[in-house]
Amino acid sequence: MAKLDNKKLLACCANGAGSSLMMENAIKKVMKKHDIKPAELRHCSVSEGKSAARNYDVVFCARTFAKNFEELAAAGKIVIPLKNVMSDKEIEAALQELDLLD
Amino acid sequence: MGSVFKDIVEKKHYRFIDGEGVTWQEAVRLSAEPLVADGTVSEDYYKQIVACIEKYGPYVVFDHNVAMPHTTENAEGAYKTGIGFMVSDKLIDFGYDEDGEKKEANLFFTLSASNPDEHTDNIMQLSQIFVNDDLLDALQAARTPEDILAAEEKYPCEEE
Repeated sequence: MAKLDNKKLLACCANGAGSSLMMENAIKKVMKKHDIKPAELRHCSVSEGKSAARNYDVVFCARTFAKNFEELAAAGKIVIPLKNVMSDKEIEAALQELDLLD
Repeated sequence: MGSVFKDIVEKKHYRFIDGEGVTWQEAVRLSAEPLVADGTVSEDYYKQIVACIEKYGPYVVFDHNVAMPHTTENAEGAYKTGIGFMVSDKLIDFGYDEDGEKKEANLFFTLSASNPDEHTDNIMQLSQIFVNDDLLDALQAARTPEDILAAEEKYPCEEE
């Protein structure tokens, strides 16, 4: 089983309408490439994400919003800030760095 | 999937500007004007986008000098789903991001979203377009609607 199988992934941006959806698509690509089947993958706004994040295993956001998740990160939640929200390569590299890919 | 650019040209949701001395706030307003013209968005819709960028910084400016100004789905004054496409002959200054990196754009894809499915389709297509460097180069050199269509034809995005 892949490490991220059955995990819950969340992508956040300011409004939950634009870049978070792009992030979700890029994450999907990485999941497909590595044959990972997360339990859930969705996108939402940062404000919604701040309260919803506790129910997710991994939170992705643009770097600008990383400070919104500092507390969660400090509490051990995996928060992955991205420079380029459309880059599946960056997502893949970040997951690899955290040893979350097999 | 439809074609973003064919739709943009058919609906006249494009414009070309001389970017000399244009602020990013003004640029966002200008890029939304073709959407205002046919009632896709209200005249004031762009102000929500400007407020959002002022609040969160220029995170809507991506690599390759591409900007995707947008607000939330079903924002006030977003009557239809559409993309306001704008090419500026000069880079528009968006200031610096949180890493101190200068953000500039000459391609604008200003979004209005009222229909979730159409909006998702637009975003899916834009995700492809924004990583298609050849296409972006050609669009940055475009000065007529014919140029836009020719660019898309010459550098099509891979189908998923």
